[in-house]
Amino acid sequence: MDEILEAFRLVTATDVLVAILAASVYGLVVGALPGLTATMATALLVPVTFYLSPIAAVATIIAASAMAIFSGDIPGALLRIPGTPASAAYTDEAYALTRKGQAELALGTGLWFSAIGGIVGTLSLMLMAPALAEMALSFSSFEYFWLSFLGLMCATLVARSSPVKAIAAMLLGLLVACVGMENPAGTPRFTFGITDLLGGIEPIPALVGVFAISEVMRAMVTPEPPKLPRRRFGSILKGQWALTKRYQVPMWRGNLVGIIIGVLPGAGADMAAWVSYALSKRFSKEKEKFGTGHPEGLVEAGASNNASLASGWVPALLFGIPGDTITAIAIGVLYMKGLNPGPTLFTERASSMYALYIIFILANIMMIPLGIAMIRLAALVLHAPRAAVLPVIVLLAAVGAFAIGNNLFAVVIVAAFGVLGFVMERNGYPVAAMVLGIIMGSMVETNFITSLIKSDNSLLPFFERPVSAVLAAITAGALFWPVAAWALRRGRAAAAA
Amino acid sequence: MHLPDRVTGAILAGLGALAAYGGSLLPAVPGQDVGPNVFPMVIGVGLIGCGAMIAFGIGSSFEAPEDGTEQAPSAAGRAPSGAATSRLAGLRALLPPALLIIYVLVVEWLGFLPTAALVVLVTALALGARLRLALPLAMVAPLAVHAAFSKLLRVPLPDGMLPAPW
Repeated sequence: MDEILEAFRLVTATDVLVAILAASVYGLVVGALPGLTATMATALLVPVTFYLSPIAAVATIIAASAMAIFSGDIPGALLRIPGTPASAAYTDEAYALTRKGQAELALGTGLWFSAIGGIVGTLSLMLMAPALAEMALSFSSFEYFWLSFLGLMCATLVARSSPVKAIAAMLLGLLVACVGMENPAGTPRFTFGITDLLGGIEPIPALVGVFAISEVMRAMVTPEPPKLPRRRFGSILKGQWALTKRYQVPMWRGNLVGIIIGVLPGAGADMAAWVSYALSKRFSKEKEKFGTGHPEGLVEAGASNNASLASGWVPALLFGIPGDTITAIAIGVLYMKGLNPGPTLFTERASSMYALYIIFILANIMMIPLGIAMIRLAALVLHAPRAAVLPVIVLLAAVGAFAIGNNLFAVVIVAAFGVLGFVMERNGYPVAAMVLGIIMGSMVETNFITSLIKSDNSLLPFFERPVSAVLAAITAGALFWPVAAWALRRGRAAAAA
Repeated sequence: MHLPDRVTGAILAGLGALAAYGGSLLPAVPGQDVGPNVFPMVIGVGLIGCGAMIAFGIGSSFEAPEDGTEQAPSAAGRAPSGAATSRLAGLRALLPPALLIIYVLVVEWLGFLPTAALVVLVTALALGARLRLALPLAMVAPLAVHAAFSKLLRVPLPDGMLPAPW
């Protein structure tokens, strides 16, 4: 009980409240601008979090990412351009509603069910994390190796491209993580005599490059999106309660799917929205209405992508394995702020954990009034020309990367990874898989090497302990699933022919 | 920068070979069989395998059939303006990273404010902004960023030739 009171005290500190409010506004604006993703919003926030207290730092990330995922729905509904990839799954549906003259319904559904999804996701985090922490206390390097390896496999499994390309991207990330002397033996690797590379390639500048600079590069070669006509909106939340009652089953299914996908390492809000929209269509009683402006899919997918945000923190807090690209960045911030991920976080820093839950709930409640304000101001924000926003992003990327260690080499890394991310995306290699490889490289290696040393180079102990045997089996399943699914599909196609 | 799978696969396989070779050259830790060379070699072998599969088009048959739907909404708004301009346009994409490298090279000497103004101005003009928008933006944005990062967050941005007015 004392810890909960302490958590409230932590959250209601002035700097935390100001940080939440500022980050919310920032997240809403960045999420609403097409091409600027929630991950990019988070990556650009990191340098600022250096100068905040631990709770305020985590609060900015939680608030900004939750708001950005919702506000990505706004240009999706009004312009048929998703603000963030997480809204792409149901953009056509929302736009169809707007064309029928029901823009308020489309936006209100996005807002209302985003908030519900976020709160349900938080509840799942509160229930799941402490229970799993109990179990995780008995994990050894064998279990951690399988967990991190499984995380890497999941990232390739859920990628919406060829699994071979996803695995290649993931291996590329692991190779990047090899650079430097931060390996179990402390030997400089692949530094080519460059002193700046001795410390390794910092993940944050690499992330800023991949998510911010490559996005600006893409904008350079694509035409500017159309402008939003000014319009007046009626009541935004009108009819949402009726929708909640009518589509209870889809809503809960969306929440559940979002939570599961969020917990899976590497799969985040965009994946949750795609899967939930597809499920909604499949199980709906009115399938024929999908695509013509039917709110059912919006309810399910809108809840799902926000639910995945909170549950993505479960593996991040417990094992330091990112649940999605946003928590991949958050893990870096947690380490910097002395909140090192691990099961002991829940026993020794319980009040910080409770504070984190409170921030999640608070951010999702604040989303409703702030979101309504954002929708009313959308015409104004979306009127900002791309040529005015993106140059500032480039500047912030440079200054932000420099600020991390007052080192200009970080800016070179931003530029290099911008090019790499751009080229990868163009050729169908999922960047998220590479990012996961970069973040988890040292964890996989350390646990792999320590386990091998412990077992005297025998591979048997990797499968002997009960939990590690189960994890190994799941990993093998993940590895062979694409092959099996492909064979199944082929078999079915052959039977149909 | 759209390359055929054959090319990207070959690049990855080559990179994998280099990683495995480079890894094998690393010194072992005395008294231990597994050292810093194991991980790069495992990754290298994996990359060679993936690269070869991509180059020979083995993986592409696994690709999910619904792949097209993901691109549909964005492709509608982002159709390239024409094949003739694509080569020039491709080069324009390299502008932001090039500006970042220029930033690294000159910021110490020229100072943050002029360098940042240059970066903002060139990016804005390349994105099709009129001078009426680009010039004021190049004046205001560096000052605002400097105020936020240097004053509030105490990041030591270099003064160079033009120190900030505060």
